[in-house]
Amino acid sequence: MSGAHAIELRGVRKSYPGFMLKDVSFTLPSGVIGGLIGPNGSGKTTVIKLIMNLVRREAGEIRVFGLDNQSAEIEVKSRIGFVYDVPGYWDDQSLDSQRRALGAFYPRWSDETFRRLAGEFGLPLDKKYKALSHGAKTKFALAMALSHGADLLIMDEPTAGLDPIFRRDLLKRMSALLQEEGKTILFSTHITSDLERVADVITFIRAGEVVFSLTRDELLDGWAIVRGDDRVVRELDPRLVMGVRRRPFGVEALVSDGDAVRRAVGGRAVVDRVTLDDVMVLMSGEVRHAA
Amino acid sequence: MLRNALRKDLLLNARHLWGIVPWFLWVAYAMTEPDAGRITAVGAAFIGSLMATTIGAREDKLRTTATLASLPVSRGTLVEARYLVAYIVGAATYLIVVVMAAGLPWSVQRAAELCELKTLLLTLTLASAAIAVLMPVVIRFGLLGVLVFLGVFQLLGVGLMVAFEFFGSRSSVGVFSAIERGIAALHAGLEQPVVILETLAIVGLAIWLSFRLSVFLAKRRDL
Repeated sequence: MSGAHAIELRGVRKSYPGFMLKDVSFTLPSGVIGGLIGPNGSGKTTVIKLIMNLVRREAGEIRVFGLDNQSAEIEVKSRIGFVYDVPGYWDDQSLDSQRRALGAFYPRWSDETFRRLAGEFGLPLDKKYKALSHGAKTKFALAMALSHGADLLIMDEPTAGLDPIFRRDLLKRMSALLQEEGKTILFSTHITSDLERVADVITFIRAGEVVFSLTRDELLDGWAIVRGDDRVVRELDPRLVMGVRRRPFGVEALVSDGDAVRRAVGGRAVVDRVTLDDVMVLMSGEVRHAA
Repeated sequence: MLRNALRKDLLLNARHLWGIVPWFLWVAYAMTEPDAGRITAVGAAFIGSLMATTIGAREDKLRTTATLASLPVSRGTLVEARYLVAYIVGAATYLIVVVMAAGLPWSVQRAAELCELKTLLLTLTLASAAIAVLMPVVIRFGLLGVLVFLGVFQLLGVGLMVAFEFFGSRSSVGVFSAIERGIAALHAGLEQPVVILETLAIVGLAIWLSFRLSVFLAKRRDL
């Protein structure tokens, strides 16, 4: 395993009653923004929890900056800023009390950074956590995650429930962290427009399996969507067809090599660039696959 | 790291520990009774330790257990802090009762009696028993664990009472007086060096086993 990767998963397995994460493998290079997407219940949160060692893996290997996330847990976690999908803090305590109690665990904690971020996010430090809105709670979690000089930021659905203005601000901040400080970010989301805006690497998980892990350019420039009649789609190389959707006036197929398919179908079908929405919809569970 | 974990438990769960305060009202009243002061002092430390032991249940409810597990601190250290906090709170509660015995104008309980070695050791034994039994349950099952644990004890008590009422020759009161007699006998015995050493060894072993079990459970728990 290479030290150039911020995150490396190899053959990771975890099972719950009715769900299994099957031999999940992917890497996230240092200094990029990685997005995890997939339908509800596909295993995105489980993957994030496994990286954070919040749940125990049954098999496989997880390395963060080349270190095993279990045997070097403390060192690994001191380099990670983590934002949970539903941030859990002490309801009856002020934000400042929580800053004092939790910041002390991090060797590189900076009160100055925290206060600056709290000011930028409009967080009232003397207020109790329970008095905050959902968005403000996420902002607080984000301020905590960004105040200890983390090299890697892991966020589970950070933009869910945020207003569009703060969502845009958060994405801008993520890009700035990457460009100005060389941080690595991994986040899961359902909002494909967020991924299209900032993600360099996109990992798609479905039913506990990694379907692909590609750079945004590989995906959006290389893949394509074919719209035509059933006969044209049936003639496509099945190895290239990732998903099919039947529409009232024809068939849509998601293909993993747009150029090859363009050459194959000629003018008999329309071959368009894909959007992440197309990928999500065509690769979700209800879609019948041609292959 | 242990210091940070201790500080976190005491700072962020202070409000939970205020739940002990009503017990002090009872203590204040009990100080008027000639024989009740010592029992309420031991009881205060017992309750204080129990309250501190259930910090984990509160943190489960608030979903902060996962937040804690994401910090750069081992789960073992967090568990260690929990045990220490339980003892610190138990000791602080006992100390407050001693001060009340000395300071309340209507108190008939002499503070010096509460500082006798045998009373201190009895308090340590009972508080340790509570911590040793409840802590692994809290750590593994959280709030639900506490509720189930207390529910089972409640049902066990009711079951015993019913069983003795219908099938036994003794009344249910006999069970509780037997427990009371046992505690009194232990208290009396704690004047002898052999009993002191045996008790300390048993308490130490029970807490060590409980701690190892709690660490094992904490490390295996999926959050």
